[in-house]
Amino acid sequence: MKGMIRSALCCMLALTLTACGGAGGAGGNGKKGDEDGLICYVGHGFWDSSLDPVKGGFSYGWSFIHNALLKVQPDSSYAGDLAESYTISDDALTYTFTLKKGITFQDGSEFTAEDVVFTYETVKANQGENEKVDLSRMERIEAVDDRTVRITLSEPYSPFLDMTAQLGIVPSDGYDSEAFNERPVGTGAWKVLQYDAGQQLIVEANEDYFDGAPHIKKVTFVDMDNEAAFSNARSGQLDIVMVQPEYAREQIEGMHIEKLETMDVRNISLPCRPSMTIKAPDGKSVQVGNDVTADPAVREALNIGIDRKQIIENAFNGVGVPAYGFTDNLEWGNAPEVRDCQREEAAKLLENAGWKDADGDGIRKKGELSCSFEIYTPSDEQDRYQLAEALAEDARGLGIQIDVKQTTWDEITEASYRSGVMWGFGQFNPMVIHQLFSSETFLTAQYSNTPGYENSQVDALINEAVAAPDHDGAVKKWKEAQEIYFRDIPYLYLVNIEHCYFVSDRVDISVSTQIPHPHGHGIPVICNMKDWTIK
Amino acid sequence: MERTVSDRVFFHRLKINTRTRVMVFLCLAAVYLLGIFFWGLFMPERAFEVNYTDKLLPPGAGHLFGTDFMGRDMLLRSVKGLSVSMVIAFLAAGVGSVIALAAGVAAAVLGGRVDGFVNWCVDLCMGIPHLVLLILISFMLGRGERGVTAAVALTHWPELTRVVRSEVLGVRSSQYVLAAYKMGKSRLSVAWNHVIPHVLPVYVTGVILLFPHAIMHEASITFLGFGLPADKPAIGVILSESMKYIASGNWWLALFPGIMLLTAIMLFDAIGENLKKLWNPDNGNE
Repeated sequence: MKGMIRSALCCMLALTLTACGGAGGAGGNGKKGDEDGLICYVGHGFWDSSLDPVKGGFSYGWSFIHNALLKVQPDSSYAGDLAESYTISDDALTYTFTLKKGITFQDGSEFTAEDVVFTYETVKANQGENEKVDLSRMERIEAVDDRTVRITLSEPYSPFLDMTAQLGIVPSDGYDSEAFNERPVGTGAWKVLQYDAGQQLIVEANEDYFDGAPHIKKVTFVDMDNEAAFSNARSGQLDIVMVQPEYAREQIEGMHIEKLETMDVRNISLPCRPSMTIKAPDGKSVQVGNDVTADPAVREALNIGIDRKQIIENAFNGVGVPAYGFTDNLEWGNAPEVRDCQREEAAKLLENAGWKDADGDGIRKKGELSCSFEIYTPSDEQDRYQLAEALAEDARGLGIQIDVKQTTWDEITEASYRSGVMWGFGQFNPMVIHQLFSSETFLTAQYSNTPGYENSQVDALINEAVAAPDHDGAVKKWKEAQEIYFRDIPYLYLVNIEHCYFVSDRVDISVSTQIPHPHGHGIPVICNMKDWTIK
Repeated sequence: MERTVSDRVFFHRLKINTRTRVMVFLCLAAVYLLGIFFWGLFMPERAFEVNYTDKLLPPGAGHLFGTDFMGRDMLLRSVKGLSVSMVIAFLAAGVGSVIALAAGVAAAVLGGRVDGFVNWCVDLCMGIPHLVLLILISFMLGRGERGVTAAVALTHWPELTRVVRSEVLGVRSSQYVLAAYKMGKSRLSVAWNHVIPHVLPVYVTGVILLFPHAIMHEASITFLGFGLPADKPAIGVILSESMKYIASGNWWLALFPGIMLLTAIMLFDAIGENLKKLWNPDNGNE
């Protein structure tokens, strides 16, 4: 029996020591980079997957190891990257790209139209391996001459430009599907020296980069958990460290904090249908809908009654900006003007809809139905949990009770059709509107339109936007679609987050050339790493 | 426990013998543990509700254990958490002890194939690292309260089964048991009237010594993320949450709940050890 208590104590010790072990562990051997090198932690963005753009590696819209035909600019419009210019035919089916001259791959071979054709054809042939770049509507691609590429689509598809900005070009001669997972060759500003999945990525400057060689010569990215990264920053071992907003008010000697603009929003899906069981397209019956959030008055009351500023202060230490829709740093973003904190108007809405607090417990009821619902958050993201709790606290003031759950994505997916879920979205591609608000995607695609929102006007506008012959026309339709669905509030937008980094005082990360960060848990900070300097 | 001669004389003069001292200690420990248990059991979730104006306060007069990142009182959360752990431990110890008693007595009394089978099961369970077995069962049952309770309940019987079995084996060959058989008593009646009463003290001690394990294991797998969901105020959840804040110097989030867990475990263990002493006629009246 003595042995039992001893093992119990050992267990306890292990419990308390796990944290210390974690903190000292990964990357602990590193010191800060030297004169022309840096050591950075930018989250877990690229650690599990292949670096090969053919398989979806670095499909962010900005160049790193590879370049795409187009690139995103700081104002979120597109400009040529490998392409000098492009034209789109009047029927929106033919895209012609004129390529830049004199560009070479990192292995010395010359970049020509043939490489573009090869890359696009390889991706299309292996579409199953690449979920980020969708070329299913590309009918054919051909090299007109060495400098010209012509792509023909099977149907008009306005988001195709996003695809051309996301797909990095690989060399047709040197491509090796196996080797490119870890040692890809591109035209980009950075060459891979070493990549150990789940541990580190070391890149060095490409001195022959066509847009000018980077100032910094070598950068090492390490993977660890957020807390370990923070304590490593404290002990002076890292130059750039991504941190969660809760650390934003900490002080680290020799480092300063940078809060960078993102297009990343946190929104909560509010099921729009009353509770019922329906048959999904795959034949399974699914419980969908929620009797509380199905009432438009409840959704509207939440939208105008809560105090987003206070919620952000409580959950994120005040880091982030109130959001009412997709951000206006996107060309197609169109968030409505909403005045927060209209407590009385919200109360009136609820009263008129029959939600009354007769028994004085602070929670409204309609008949037997209590005005309460659940919000699910993923257990590996504490910040979303905190945001949901802060919202729950605020919504209680309106007489609405929100219970916050924290669980795995599997369970969230299952519950998402009948409960709220704290989502995170932020991307250049307007197809996210199709994903979230088109009635087509309900129950057919994961993480899509979980509220079961259905509005024929929105559906029509989305289809028109997708089929629009020109970019500006598409943007206009996307904006109209947003105006209409905002009246129904299938999603409650809360915050446009800001990415926080501790940056060593000797490093300048060129904030003016940073693009608004897409959803990516910190990694987008390296979008302009070419422009960084060491003082 | 070692005691010096002067100690002994002192206690002798006060006429306080081991039995009395143990009884006093047992009462105090039981009051503490039951106090936490019932306090937590009847505590509404409202007691430690979110209060953002009191975020991350260090321990002080208002909040003895400080507050966490949402301004929740850590003392109340820890008590609630420990009591949740205790409920699971009681369930687990209850189930585990019934399995252990039945299997142990059956193995010893019936012997032969039954004995072989029970021993095989015990070896099987003890052959797999305990924590791995817990995680497997909990994961299989979908984690959450159900998973962790089943896992803890189903894995704590082997040691106790062994103890019970060897005790019963000892009794089985003693004179009075043999005599009972000769008088034509059935096996069941012998087991009930002669074997179980003899085994009971050892058994009860064993059950009490199960508690610290059960609590510890529940906290461990919850800490590792395979147990109670993160929105429950379980002690494992509190500890794993606190790890995120240690780097920024909020030590009280881990320290006090940790100490509370440790205290509860050591008290349970001490109760078990002292009961053993109490039931042992050799040193009970020292």
